[in-house]
Amino acid sequence: MSSKSKPPSIPIHEAVSWEDWLKGRRWRRELGSRVAPPIIRREASSSDPRLRRLFHGERGLPFARSKRL
Amino acid sequence: MQADLVKAALADILADTDPTRKAAKLASLCSEVFRQRGIDLVVVGGSAIELLTEGAYTSGDLDFCLLNRNAVPLRERQELMGQLQGQGGPRSWQVAGQFVDLLGPLESLARTPLRKLAGPYGLVQIIQPEELLVERILVSVYPQKSVPARQCARKLAAVALGGALGLDWNEVERLARLPEYRIFPECQKVIEEIANELKVKTPFHPHP
Repeated sequence: MSSKSKPPSIPIHEAVSWEDWLKGRRWRRELGSRVAPPIIRREASSSDPRLRRLFHGERGLPFARSKRL
Repeated sequence: MQADLVKAALADILADTDPTRKAAKLASLCSEVFRQRGIDLVVVGGSAIELLTEGAYTSGDLDFCLLNRNAVPLRERQELMGQLQGQGGPRSWQVAGQFVDLLGPLESLARTPLRKLAGPYGLVQIIQPEELLVERILVSVYPQKSVPARQCARKLAAVALGGALGLDWNEVERLARLPEYRIFPECQKVIEEIANELKVKTPFHPHP
């Protein structure tokens, strides 16, 4: 990815706009996936009963694939 | 925020099936409703990591701490969550297909700014990633090794080292050296590992 085509990053001192945050999603996901499995949601926690009740046996909604971000 | 706008926002959030975007929208709406009552919320924990990294870590709950209050009386919490058509309480509510947890006052040693996302319904404040990174590295080692915490730390470091998230590495070092953390050698090791994997320069001085 060339620096020209890089999406906006989340800055330290200013607010990131909603549009820029959305544009940066794929970049962030792909960077993280280079050093850890793409999905790292915990398999269990103390919130399991309520989460699995709400999400039909899962702990949350399924994550979007990188290419759809 | 007018009731019809809240209603429209809730319908939008409920219909959203992307967990991270949905959490960001709900954080934005909750923050705005509380802000109008003079209460500043900060997203913390796994929800904060998710908003900053897109790490596919979060579950279906959203954790907030209080920035400018030590506590919010139960009556006020229930009224505010009522505006959001929330169900439950006294500290956790189901809102628009997610759980919202209201924890205590924010505990952060970081001196860097809270990160801010100008969400669709209002500004979202997110705990400093410098604090999140050092905290996850500590939890990945003590009291025993934790793979999920290490994976979170690795993703957070990678997103920052790759340039997608502004991070103050001097602040990371300062925090990691504090008596409250005492984790700098491990922190340096993790960051160097990630920097090598990404083929970028480490922000810390190499080991002597």
